[in-house]
Amino acid sequence: MGVSAVPGSGKTWTLSSLAAKIVAEGALRDEQEVLIVTLVNSAVDNFAGRVAGFLRTYGLLPGIGYRVRTLHGLAHDIVRERPGLVGLSDEFTIVDDRVSAEIMRDAALAWLRSHTDLEDAYLASELDEDQLGRVRANQWPDLVVGVATAITRQAKDLQVTPAVLRYRLDAFPQRLLLLEMGCAVYADYQRALAYRGAVDFDDLIRLALQALRLDPAFLERLRQRWPYVLEDEAQDSSHLQEVILRELVGPHGNWVRVGDPNQAIYETFTTANPRYLREFLDAPDVLALDLPNSGRSMQSVIDLANALITWTTEEHPVQGLRSALGEPYIEPAPRGDPQPNPPDDPDQIRFVKRGLAPRAEIEALVRSAGSWVREHPEQTAAILVPRNVRGFEIADALRVAAVPSVELLRSTPTTREAAGALANVVRYLADPASARKLAIVYRVWRRDDRHDIAKAEELGAISKLIALCPYVEDFIWPRAGQDWLEALPSDASWAPALQVHLGGFRELIRRWQGATLLPVDQLMLTLGQDLFTEPPDLAIAHKLALALRQAADDHPDWRLPELAEELATIARNERRFIGFAEADTGFDPESYKGQVVITTMHKSKGLEWDKVYLVSVNDYDFPSALPQDRFISEPWFVRDQLNLQAEALAQLEALELNPDLFDYDEGSPTLAARRDYAAERLRLFYVGITRARRAVTVTWNTGRQGTAQPAAPLLALQTWWEEQHG
Amino acid sequence: METITAYALTPEQLDVVQMPLGGPKAAGSRIYLEGPAGTGKTTAGVARLYHMLAAGIPADQVLVLTPQRTLAQPYVDALRRPDRPSGGEPTIATVGGLARRMVDLFWPLVAQDAGFGDPDARPSFLTLETAQYHIARVVGPLVDREGYFESVTIDRHRLYGQILDNLNKSAVVGFAATEISDRLKGAWMGEQSQARVYDQAQACATAFRAYCLQHNLLDFSLQMAIFAEHLWQEPLCRDYLTSSYTHLIVDNVEEDTPVAHDILIEWLGTAHSALVILDQGAGYRSFLGADPKGARMLGDLCDVHVTFTQSFVISPTMAALGDTLSRALRPSPAGTHAVAPADPVAEDVEPQPFSVVGTDDASVATLDPTEVLHFASHRFHPQMLDWVAAEVHRLIDQAGVTPGEIVVLAPFLTDALRYSLAYRLEQLDIPVRSHRPSRALRDEPATQTLLTFAALIHPSWGIVPSKYDVAYALMVAITGMDLIRAQLLAEIVYRPHAGEPELTSFHAIRPEIQERITFMYGERYEALRTWIGACSCDAAPLDHVLARLFGEVLSQPGFGFHGDSDAGRIVAMVIESVRKFRWVVQDLALDRALGHEYLAMVKEGVIAAQYLQPWQEEPKDAVLLAPAYTFLLANRPVDVQFWLNVGGQGWWERLYQPLTHPYVLSRRWAPGRLWTDAEEFALRQETMARLVLGLIRRCRHSLYLGLSDLSEQGYEQEGVLLRAFQRVLRRA
Repeated sequence: MGVSAVPGSGKTWTLSSLAAKIVAEGALRDEQEVLIVTLVNSAVDNFAGRVAGFLRTYGLLPGIGYRVRTLHGLAHDIVRERPGLVGLSDEFTIVDDRVSAEIMRDAALAWLRSHTDLEDAYLASELDEDQLGRVRANQWPDLVVGVATAITRQAKDLQVTPAVLRYRLDAFPQRLLLLEMGCAVYADYQRALAYRGAVDFDDLIRLALQALRLDPAFLERLRQRWPYVLEDEAQDSSHLQEVILRELVGPHGNWVRVGDPNQAIYETFTTANPRYLREFLDAPDVLALDLPNSGRSMQSVIDLANALITWTTEEHPVQGLRSALGEPYIEPAPRGDPQPNPPDDPDQIRFVKRGLAPRAEIEALVRSAGSWVREHPEQTAAILVPRNVRGFEIADALRVAAVPSVELLRSTPTTREAAGALANVVRYLADPASARKLAIVYRVWRRDDRHDIAKAEELGAISKLIALCPYVEDFIWPRAGQDWLEALPSDASWAPALQVHLGGFRELIRRWQGATLLPVDQLMLTLGQDLFTEPPDLAIAHKLALALRQAADDHPDWRLPELAEELATIARNERRFIGFAEADTGFDPESYKGQVVITTMHKSKGLEWDKVYLVSVNDYDFPSALPQDRFISEPWFVRDQLNLQAEALAQLEALELNPDLFDYDEGSPTLAARRDYAAERLRLFYVGITRARRAVTVTWNTGRQGTAQPAAPLLALQTWWEEQHG
Repeated sequence: METITAYALTPEQLDVVQMPLGGPKAAGSRIYLEGPAGTGKTTAGVARLYHMLAAGIPADQVLVLTPQRTLAQPYVDALRRPDRPSGGEPTIATVGGLARRMVDLFWPLVAQDAGFGDPDARPSFLTLETAQYHIARVVGPLVDREGYFESVTIDRHRLYGQILDNLNKSAVVGFAATEISDRLKGAWMGEQSQARVYDQAQACATAFRAYCLQHNLLDFSLQMAIFAEHLWQEPLCRDYLTSSYTHLIVDNVEEDTPVAHDILIEWLGTAHSALVILDQGAGYRSFLGADPKGARMLGDLCDVHVTFTQSFVISPTMAALGDTLSRALRPSPAGTHAVAPADPVAEDVEPQPFSVVGTDDASVATLDPTEVLHFASHRFHPQMLDWVAAEVHRLIDQAGVTPGEIVVLAPFLTDALRYSLAYRLEQLDIPVRSHRPSRALRDEPATQTLLTFAALIHPSWGIVPSKYDVAYALMVAITGMDLIRAQLLAEIVYRPHAGEPELTSFHAIRPEIQERITFMYGERYEALRTWIGACSCDAAPLDHVLARLFGEVLSQPGFGFHGDSDAGRIVAMVIESVRKFRWVVQDLALDRALGHEYLAMVKEGVIAAQYLQPWQEEPKDAVLLAPAYTFLLANRPVDVQFWLNVGGQGWWERLYQPLTHPYVLSRRWAPGRLWTDAEEFALRQETMARLVLGLIRRCRHSLYLGLSDLSEQGYEQEGVLLRAFQRVLRRA
């Protein structure tokens, strides 16, 4: 069965109640389960929670008879069950994105050091010596790393090993420079992973499919285990996800795919494509249904979203983009629905007409959002940004302006704070004579007091005092008669209490200094136990301990400074951690009434707020594949405005599909990539609009160079709105 | 019950103990005793040993054989008791131990025939550590230069370990070491490139075997192979053994290997008496080659068969839990698996009914098994650990359970898990022990300190420790030295130059800094530095140097190891490790100093990475933290068990080794038969059933299950064992 569901139509509710019904009505044998596959970690808990809720209403124990997984989680389950089948040992580890990026970077840079033919072939000829030098030093390596990464990922998706790719290239009469590079780096990268006994996330999926295909009996067993497969967000299903689920469902299984092709926003440089869902819906043996009614938004928001569909299908200036959005249109909830739409108030749809400089856009947002939350303490609000970087800037500005706010960006504050706290302590332990670093540790120790104004003041004063301690050893390990603590002015009334307080801190620091002799995992656990009380924080400390131990094993020369850096990298938001942060365990906007949530449009999927700000809707962040548009993926220093990733991937696909026909024409993949990207950004805009229940404000900025224009769909909507409402 | 010295015995046990001790071929002197765990078989074995000695059989004619040393512990303990019958010491050994002794003793007899390169020179026996070192020399270049094992995802040491393991399998199962890859390929049905991997594994095994022969080196596999294929066939050696030991007690024979069984089958024919004991439902060492099915063949050669059925250990309610759980572990009739394997590889675990001494089975069936089952579920892993610590504390504090009667078990324990749990329990003043130390030898601060000084003593090696290592070494080596002063001092006096480390004098530094560091510590540093300087021209072997460093400096008053017996033990182990390494490699042409080579190997993790034996004094009456199999093989029942991560897959997973396959390389596996998913699934089910039922048979009163939604690494868990417990709860 296939279901197209509009935003807010209750997909999650429908799928989870279906799962519960299957479990409750006894359609499963003892060891069978309903398998629910969804797109992101945050949805997993949401689903699991809802199914559990429904089961309780049936009077059943939750947790049994169903399994909710992302594709990665599912692949992990499959591979874990038969690792030997695909050449893994039982102790295989999974490198996270940051480690994988590091290995890829090393491999690509090593290749670059001994090869210049690629830059000869692709750098723009009009660059002068200075420009060439700068590009070679900075942008070019980054670009090559990006292309190598894309080739590697795509090759894995196509199930092409480095050896097979090498064979194809050797057999091909022309030299394909991008692929030559990609193949060499890919081979190096896989070798480095194998050396660590590790796989990356893409391998996990590739290997899961391989395992299913290698042993029919294993596949049959899994088919028996999962007679019902329910798939959410099927519009973002990748090629491999579709193939794996098709294998698991088999000829006699039950497969329900629910999705909204209008909300497909994960396609760029992946094999995800809403086409798969559309084709599935059209297949003869599939029962296709629509869920067009949505009680989420007021009528004006629905009108706006529908107008975007109409404009796209009928008037988009680029013909090829007219299928980027499509029916069904959103219809309000039918009369008498228990979840009726909020009352309409067209005044709450606002377009900021004037383009602002990026800084000014943020200032305007802070003012507006600040007054909104003051006036609507019982409502929810979000600022949706196209990219994380913009989100960080806005989050900082809100903090400075003391507007209550919550970040839901790349990694959540919980992960960053826990990792950051540990990193600060480790940095001090690497440099134990530093009073300044010790003062930071003191602040880390008392970080819960930061939000209490009176305590924050005291904390600041004491940490300043510590920072001024001339010789740290006189505080932590004083000789007789040299105790810095005893030498503090003793006449003040607070002095005795402070001495006791800092005496406790000193004991802690002594213990931690002793712990530096332990293996790093044990050091981390010791620190974690002393610093944290909240279960997610302790769980993160435990996971970080395992991660750092792995890092220390991989780099036997690393000592505390390097390990502190490793932690700091995690703290700086560069690394994804699954499972622990709130964002990964189901973010509920309703818990943040009276605060502003800052998140990306991608992350906002599945969520809703009363008031939504859509930010940076200009032709740089939302290009429309028009001649004047600029594209992030077409750097100025590459000849002919080529998008090298797109070109490389097209070469790979052409080579893999049919080396004899080799259907590749330089430049056309770049153009196709523009259209794909523009289509996806259009849908992203649609997703953004449909997050709002009662109010939407759309702003745009003129970009770094001050030349950006409002995005074409924004202009179109604004014009339409003014025609409708004067 | 009657008593033979200290042991109270049932009439059934007494019957076994008092059977004839006969002469050759005397009727009734060869006994085959089987039964589930906890039914008093080993007690009967120990009592029979006493009976033999009391009857005047010379102790040196008695051989007690077990598959591994921990399983012989009851016999070792019995012989240490003051009330034991007088007489000499019976021999307690493993077949592997006998093999090594025989090879050593009869070396001249076999060295030539077995193809050793220098039959006139003495053989070198390799430890696990030194075997890893040598195989790294042979296989490392093949991996680095020839691109071996590119398609396999595995770290280097596990790779070496698996090649050694293949050789061991060939020796203990009894097939030619050249057949490894053919056997593995014959069962493989996965990706074709794996065939090449198996061929490479074969090439490595062959190359290593040739290297060992050439250099007179004997790893475990070669010791076993030479014993079984050469010495045991040699009348001189065989007669020596069979006439020396005419009375055999063979315990836990189900955990021993096919080749051990072959030898025993022949030996039983000449023994004056024999007691062969088999633990039904066990076979926990299958991945090491144990052959429980083959062990039953020994029964055919015995003239008396006895079966014990009633447990002395478990409570009736625990028996009821065992019964319910064993039913829940059976796949349902229309199970997930359509095809059952034709001939299951593992010992079938047709569950032996759980019956209890003094209770009839019908009354057990009426008990509610969930009364002894306690559990709580948590979101995060550390929350589960908190719960375990709190429950352990409550049991000890309020329910009067002694710490030694509590074990905490998991399929495997990461160092982090072990440390976290130990820390929580220690916070609650609960003594903890673990079958291995919480750190590898090389991770011990004392070891690190010695190795740092070794590099400083030998600057010409060009090993330059980081300033952190030097600071840590000073902190450990000088009593009272804190991290801040150690780092200050290292910062100033440690000056590597021209690629060599060097320590400069305390006296040369500025007075105000001297004062900060303090003159007391400064003087101690000077003493240490002077000693190092004087030693550095010495060409003595590293183990001698370290022994002197310890004796002359570090163990003296004012220095870190003074009066620290734990550190002393660690130092002794490091010195021992260096010495063994020296013996084994001294004849090789190394391109650097032997001590230098040793340090390099430690850094690469080849050496001192193992947890060979505990070196910390462990309290006796303490909560034990251990992997489930370690606990099973220690074979000691307790009152309370905690099982961690019951939701995890670990309980249902077997060891996966891409270069080897313990079941395909077993004697039960017909060459050429494909290893399919049906086998895989059946094996996992059986292995898990055997594990958990074995644990229950060793649990007297209560079982606690620790559950968390997310694993230690943060992944969701969906365990097969958890589902089995759900079935238990539903049936209750």
